[in-house]
Amino acid sequence: MNSPEINSPAPVIQVVGLTKNYGNFTAVHGIDFEVYPGEIFGLIGPDGAGKTTTFHILGGVMEASGGAIDILGKPPRNARLSLGYLTQQFSLYLDLSIDENLTYSAGLHQVPELEFNQRRSKYLQLMGLNSIGDRLAGQLSGGMKQKLALCCALVSQPQILLLDEPTTGVDPVSRREFWDVLAALADEGMTIVVATPYLDEAERCNRIALMYEGKISEIGTLKQLRSNLGLQRLELRTKELVETEKILLAAAQDKTSGIADVQTFGDRIDVLVRDATRDSVKVREILNKQHLTITSLETSDVTLENVFVTRLRQQGSEPAFIEFPRLKPGRSASVGASDVAIGARNLRKVFGSFQAVKNVDLEIRYGEIYGLLGANGAGKTTTIKILCGLLEASSGEMLLGGRSQNLRDASIRQRIGYMSQKFTLYDDLSVVENLEFYCGVYGVPQKIRRTKIDWVLETCGLTGQEKMLTGKLPGGWKQRVAFGASVMHEPEILFLDEPTSGVDPLARRQFWRLINDFARQGTAVLVTTHYLEEAEQCNRMGFMVAGEVVLQGSPSEVKASQPGQLIELKVDRTQQASNLLKHHLEVWRVSIFGDRLHVVLDDPDHDLPSVVDILAQSKIQTYSTRPIPFSLEDVFISVVQRTESGTSHSAT
Amino acid sequence: MKRILSQCIKELAQFRRDRLTLALAFILPFATLLIFGFAIRLEAKDIPLIVQDFDRTNLSNRYIETLYATNQFKPVAWDINASPQIALDRSLAKAVVIIPPNFSQHINGEKQTEVQVLVDGTDANNARVIKNGLKATTNAFMRSQSLLPKTNPIATLTRLWFNPGRKESLSIVPGTFAVVLWIFPSLLAAIAMVREKEKGTILQVYASSLSAEELILGKAAAYWVVAIGMALLVMGGGAVIFGLSFAGDPTPFLLGTIIYLWTSTMFGMMIGSRVSNQNAAVQAVSLVGFLTSFLLSGFIYPLSNIPFPLSLIPNVVPARYFIEITRDAFVRGVGWSSVWLSVVMIFLLSMVFFNVARKALGRMQLSE
Repeated sequence: MNSPEINSPAPVIQVVGLTKNYGNFTAVHGIDFEVYPGEIFGLIGPDGAGKTTTFHILGGVMEASGGAIDILGKPPRNARLSLGYLTQQFSLYLDLSIDENLTYSAGLHQVPELEFNQRRSKYLQLMGLNSIGDRLAGQLSGGMKQKLALCCALVSQPQILLLDEPTTGVDPVSRREFWDVLAALADEGMTIVVATPYLDEAERCNRIALMYEGKISEIGTLKQLRSNLGLQRLELRTKELVETEKILLAAAQDKTSGIADVQTFGDRIDVLVRDATRDSVKVREILNKQHLTITSLETSDVTLENVFVTRLRQQGSEPAFIEFPRLKPGRSASVGASDVAIGARNLRKVFGSFQAVKNVDLEIRYGEIYGLLGANGAGKTTTIKILCGLLEASSGEMLLGGRSQNLRDASIRQRIGYMSQKFTLYDDLSVVENLEFYCGVYGVPQKIRRTKIDWVLETCGLTGQEKMLTGKLPGGWKQRVAFGASVMHEPEILFLDEPTSGVDPLARRQFWRLINDFARQGTAVLVTTHYLEEAEQCNRMGFMVAGEVVLQGSPSEVKASQPGQLIELKVDRTQQASNLLKHHLEVWRVSIFGDRLHVVLDDPDHDLPSVVDILAQSKIQTYSTRPIPFSLEDVFISVVQRTESGTSHSAT
Repeated sequence: MKRILSQCIKELAQFRRDRLTLALAFILPFATLLIFGFAIRLEAKDIPLIVQDFDRTNLSNRYIETLYATNQFKPVAWDINASPQIALDRSLAKAVVIIPPNFSQHINGEKQTEVQVLVDGTDANNARVIKNGLKATTNAFMRSQSLLPKTNPIATLTRLWFNPGRKESLSIVPGTFAVVLWIFPSLLAAIAMVREKEKGTILQVYASSLSAEELILGKAAAYWVVAIGMALLVMGGGAVIFGLSFAGDPTPFLLGTIIYLWTSTMFGMMIGSRVSNQNAAVQAVSLVGFLTSFLLSGFIYPLSNIPFPLSLIPNVVPARYFIEITRDAFVRGVGWSSVWLSVVMIFLLSMVFFNVARKALGRMQLSE
């Protein structure tokens, strides 16, 4: 891959002072950036930062209000034939088959017949879609759809690919495959500009631009961004999470403490500090003073999420955290807080001949956050629907709030909050009308409605805009309002089906703070998510594959249960090395992260030398190797792959 | 050209998959044809008529027979002592004829006799038809009884030049063709255009260098093909069911139909390129389409009845020209010399619609 700092070839995209106004509103405020050939350039930022507008302008489908944009030496409109553009919504015709979509796309770009046939088979092969050419696009999974959309963009052999959040709503396995394809394309010399809300994905870009309120605040490689931040991350594990967090947050208020940020996850606390060695001692001191024990304290790299959140905080854009106005006493105060809130034994659901849910056992206690993770179609949503009584199970026992019968009873529904995957708000009602409606549905007493509604509006940063039509809100904001609507009646049990899909990282943090707050008050929370980085926030989690829960445990347990070790390799030709190793090892074991290679080895002491050997035989030099901890995504992918290939593992 | 073709092929593939559009293209137009073809009858027939005969002679009987002999009226039984007003109030009859007791006496005595006629005037047009019908029948009766003077100063000898049998379907069914083949092709085309905007796939088209002309022509070509299929079904079915046949040279009709269908899809393109959701598109096309092709086309009401300035509108209603073409084809049979201008006008209007659509899509970019 080209490194622009060394070769400095002519940029293929040059943007100077790009501005876009919609009436009085300025969406993009004079941004500058350059993209070099063969580079994967990431554009990340919260909702409404102006990313999509920038893509529209780069793609030549919208006129800029000001500034100079030069793509391959031409204005974007004239460069359209050399561009492949994947728009945020599915850019496919769902009622056409795979082949018809491709043929149409080729026709639009005047691709000659012969070349079209070659490219079609090449790219379908690359995406693993070659055997199902006559299937309708609408029948494909989210991941396959996006791969097909990418194929359609590729048949015209563009020099530049513009990808606007290509993997939103796509499950982790497909996402990783998608990015492997991108890495392969970049290696062939294609230039890729990509926006993504998944920061773990953005780490795979060569360079990343942070965009906020129409301005680019920082551009650099992941390494540069990390070192510019000047912070390090301490992973602190302890039994007393809540107490520890409280004390560290208080310490963080003191500027001299060196603590820049404290973030609580399901079974650990991340502390961002200026100097790892000096400040870890300090952290130990502070906690010892309060007689809190630390199980472990490890120093780690800051994540892109840390960079992103810290930078945005410096801009002062953090959504406010406002304590929920509670009327009922939290359940943790009452007796029996550790009772089972949601239980299931041998739960099964059959649709026709299709087994959507197979023998699921679950036990979620009050005050616990339980994450249900799985690819699209693994049965998560069906399971949630059964558990909250929306769908009848085919067989099995269930327990909900101490009841096993009549789960649709009004008295039990009163104690449950449910936020579904699709927006549950009425687009043609204003925000406040929606909230009033849900207050009415859940029987929130008239005199406290105003307090609750105000809380939702403040939390969402919508105070003063409550008359706005809900349909006009960006997706991420709608999700926040929907969450607010589902908790106004102070449920004891909360079901959240992908609450944060399409929500930007900063707002996601706020979301999780709210969820944590509810859990601490004794609410049992069952949540599904596609973002594995945020699944770390769960106390316990279950991985679903094809309707079965194949692995359960706390984040640490789940990671520890992984056989083998993740090794990070630094080599001189990453893509070739990846291709080679995928040939020798199972494909899922190898993936590219920016300029590094991640390889899962069952027995590193024995396998690593042979891996280096294989590379050396092809004259690929290995600069360094080091074991790194599994991320939840690594665990997820290997669990799915191992299950699908027939070897199942169980942690607990 | 290749891009227009690939656009067209894609549209047809999508069209084939969608049950709703298939129904819109074939089932609904045919159903509309049947409904219009059978339900619309402008000629008044079988009008319920009460005759109260206070004379009860041979002569009065013969007069009554003449009234009912025309098929225009059908008898309604009514008690001679009951007030005929009640029958009108209850809409049991549309007209009442009251024959006075001295009817035959006066006629035989060569004196004038007065027959009272009550006509329900709720429907002004129908009332006039009834009134004229009764007058004409009475005249016929007098002529048959030799009650009229032998020599008329002026005798009108009327002959219906076209459609001598006054077959009503000959004017209704071709008019229905014009309405059906206007509304459905444009509806399909407009929906096809708007759907791309709604689904967001239009961005892909914008991002390619396809021009507005190519997009419109490609889509219109696809729905033109569909519309021709629709026309074959509707016209073929109509001809068989209602017994239509060409009165003369069919070429102006065939060519006119092909152009008319093109204009109709272009109209759909125009609406589709200007509105942004399917609801608006369906409403705009069906409302505008129906109003113009039904009411302002001369289909039902003569164009000469429309007052100024409304009377200017039919000049830009393609259905009006097409109705002229169909009436010539099935009724008049004069041929090119009579309808060439209509064919040209329909074509010119298609160019207007095309240009408006092209302007609306502009530079194929997102509007703010």
